[in-house]
Amino acid sequence: MSSKVHKRGATCPDMNMTPLIDVVFQLIIFFMLVNNIISEEAVQMIVPKLDDPKVIELDEGNRLTINIVPEEYDGDRYELDDKLAVSGFSDRVRLGSQLEFTFENLHEMVSHLEDAVKKNPKVEIILRADAATHYEIVQPVMEAITGAGISRVNLMAFLPNEGPDMRGKDN
Amino acid sequence: MAEQPPNQFQAVSNEDVVHHKSKRRDKKNATDAMHLNLTSMIDVIFLLLIYFVITASFAVGEGVITANLPRGSGPAEEDEPPKRPITIEVTTVGTADARINVIGFNDPPRNFKQLAQFLMVHQKNPNKNRHGHYLPDNPVIIQPDGQVRWQHVVNAFNAAVKAQYTNISFAQVGPSG
Repeated sequence: MSSKVHKRGATCPDMNMTPLIDVVFQLIIFFMLVNNIISEEAVQMIVPKLDDPKVIELDEGNRLTINIVPEEYDGDRYELDDKLAVSGFSDRVRLGSQLEFTFENLHEMVSHLEDAVKKNPKVEIILRADAATHYEIVQPVMEAITGAGISRVNLMAFLPNEGPDMRGKDN
Repeated sequence: MAEQPPNQFQAVSNEDVVHHKSKRRDKKNATDAMHLNLTSMIDVIFLLLIYFVITASFAVGEGVITANLPRGSGPAEEDEPPKRPITIEVTTVGTADARINVIGFNDPPRNFKQLAQFLMVHQKNPNKNRHGHYLPDNPVIIQPDGQVRWQHVVNAFNAAVKAQYTNISFAQVGPSG
């Protein structure tokens, strides 16, 4: 009788860790996968925030992102009142997660885009540029995209009620 | 004689107790050996988890608007000149602001919400009870100057999409306006 009581006392402090470890493993796997998916778009920038946007979310498959890498800003841009009050220049474009092009050799990007479309005709091109980028920077990139025979481009912007306030009051 | 049997009995029972005790200890040792010590593993796993949580940089809340650009490279084709395109000029004011002007209209919209309203009012779309002059597939050209921030360009584009125009294009940079 006494031995039984003793036994119970000894096993009680043991926690069953198995479900905890299961959950934590699931979390780790989730974050690892998400990291891989998102690294493609990991160029830090503030995309345009629109008045009354008609922006839709695009599902994950068949995306090819073209990032116009903005000139780096020293300091925390999110603390600026006017998020557009930065230089707005860029010297390179990133296609997908690896390929980078300068504006002088954008024609190389055209051939890469042509290959990508040949491989997968359903590919959706996403153009991601900082809100502060000058139009004269973005326009050659759009021209390169059309030069590869692609007419459908998705412009990245914030969804409704997302993203920072660009300025105190707009216009 | 009267003492011996109890002594004997005691001796036997002592032995028995000892035997029983050792048995129980063995059993206990066996169950202890079955337990894996998971604490260190959990430590490592939590570190991994925290690493991935911190390094995950999400592109939070971003979405897309789809634009149909004119096919082909080089300057915009002039082979089929649109009948009467709506040309929206966006010009820079100061460092980061923009002014809207719709070519051919005197009272330009002052912001992009008004631009969307303006484009809706001038659209001819019986389904939506709009009685303007321009059909939804009438070309809309967005013509920003080179210094205009991308924010305003996409805003103008968004206004035209919101007004349900289907043929929206971006103009070349240059002093053509």
